Amino acid sequence: MARPKKKNDISVYHGNELVERRQELLDKITKGDSFLPDSVLHDDLDLGMLDFVKNNFKTVSGGEEIPVIPKILTLQRWGEFTNTWDISDLDGNIKLPFISVVRRPDVQPGTNPSLQRTIPDRQQFHYASVPTWNGTQMGADIYRIPQPVAVDITYEVTILCTRFRDLNKFNQIVLQKFSSRQAYTTVKGHYVPIVLDSIEDNTPVDIESRRFYLQNYKFTLLGFLIDEEEFDIKPAVSRLFLMNEFINSNNYEKKFMTKNVEITIAKYTSNGTDTVFSVGESIGILFTVEINGIVQTRDVDFFHVGYTSKISFSSPPRENSQISIKYYKGKSNVYIDSSGNPRQVSTETFTYDGTSLEFTTLNTIDSVVSFDLNGLTQQEGESFEVSGRTNLRLLGTPRVGTIIGVTYLH
Amino acid sequence: MNKKVPITRLSKFFSNEDFDLNVQIGEEYLHGDLNMKLILYRVDSDSTDTDAVYAEVGKDQIKFYPPVEFNALVRVESPKNNNYKNGMVRYNEPGNLILSVYLKQLKDLGIDLKYGDFIGYPETEEKVRYYTVSNDGKVTSDNKHNMFGFKPYYRTITCVPAQEVEFRGV
Repeated sequence: MARPKKKNDISVYHGNELVERRQELLDKITKGDSFLPDSVLHDDLDLGMLDFVKNNFKTVSGGEEIPVIPKILTLQRWGEFTNTWDISDLDGNIKLPFISVVRRPDVQPGTNPSLQRTIPDRQQFHYASVPTWNGTQMGADIYRIPQPVAVDITYEVTILCTRFRDLNKFNQIVLQKFSSRQAYTTVKGHYVPIVLDSIEDNTPVDIESRRFYLQNYKFTLLGFLIDEEEFDIKPAVSRLFLMNEFINSNNYEKKFMTKNVEITIAKYTSNGTDTVFSVGESIGILFTVEINGIVQTRDVDFFHVGYTSKISFSSPPRENSQISIKYYKGKSNVYIDSSGNPRQVSTETFTYDGTSLEFTTLNTIDSVVSFDLNGLTQQEGESFEVSGRTNLRLLGTPRVGTIIGVTYLH
Repeated sequence: MNKKVPITRLSKFFSNEDFDLNVQIGEEYLHGDLNMKLILYRVDSDSTDTDAVYAEVGKDQIKFYPPVEFNALVRVESPKNNNYKNGMVRYNEPGNLILSVYLKQLKDLGIDLKYGDFIGYPETEEKVRYYTVSNDGKVTSDNKHNMFGFKPYYRTITCVPAQEVEFRGV
């Protein structure tokens, strides 16, 4: 048997991939102090080209690197002078060899395929949703930016030298870099392609004057303009963070019926003067309002406007009375439990006639919300119990004629 | 070239003695009165290692014979304001150096000025400008370089300014 080949865990690609890579690219663009990208304008693109030349076209002649004029030269004479004086001779002429970058002043409409189809009217598009917090209010801002404007900028990178071998080296570096037709520079995190258009020799041929080689490499930078002034920031939906302060820490409790339908019981202690009590959220279904365990009658003892949070009594309850409001905050009489099953609520009344302590409901009881005898709330397990799927049994004997009220989920 | 042909033209009006006298008077004026001195740096092409393909040399790699001082009538042309590309990267090109040298002096010194040799001309006490010979003026057959049509007596040598990368003195 031949020796099995070992598995090699060679990581070919060391960078991030897929979503992580996209996030990495986005982070590069927005590594500034805001969520928006920085402006990319003409000067940024020029700087990107200049940096590209400085970093990629390093050519060594006679053991020394051929200097690149550190700025893009323009018409201003003093600017040209100040940026070349340190590589100039006593006559003020730039010593050979050197490399210069000259930009053509005319910037043309872009030909970058990814930006060529232009959306009219500078329409804004969603860029990011950014959460905001002003100390009291939580919200979000919607950042919108228009499509970048594609531009083509032409640069002429010129090498001047006196040796043929320097030309060869420079040419080799450029052609190797642009063997795939285009290379990329980075402008504020954006990858911007550069295309090599042409190479031409402009060496002056004159026997009676100074001799040097002069070659122009013409590049087109397929850039785009992003202007911060065009960005649009608008507030989105704001959420108000409401805080309700309760005097008693145990005023508010939640009761879980059947462990999966959330029914809230809000408890208050009356101060003898207040008639209005708020539960701090909309009451979808109001089950019972009790004072000291006695169920109150709606529109007689108290008033409630549907889907509001307040209960108003016709007169203030006595001081230190325990007020209990039992409600469900859903907006219909159909309850959805945590498993997604619909539940319904029903209220039925019976009259004790002295014969049987058991009563049969119309629906199968899932859980009892409230049970009262003549309006006095009873506790399950103490005064009644659910004895079957539709049966309730009293654990004590009430007076004949007692009205029994039960509200239950089914 | 050992055979010599006697020049007998113009013999009724001009002779070798007259020719030598005129040259002597001219040298007296040029070397004595004007006394314009230059330094010739002759390239030792035999000792200089050149590139195998392009016959180029790197900076400061040219070998020279010992420099020789000589006299000449010097004329420096006006500098030219120029640019490398579309008005950008301007340079002020010094004018060419045009020398007139007596053939007799070159013969006396045992030197020749060749295409590509370097010449230093001290403009001031501190500044020597270097030129390279672009036209060594060896062809002196024209009337201008012949004394009354008798014999050539001087050479006109054109030199262009040398780049520092080419030559910066020995």
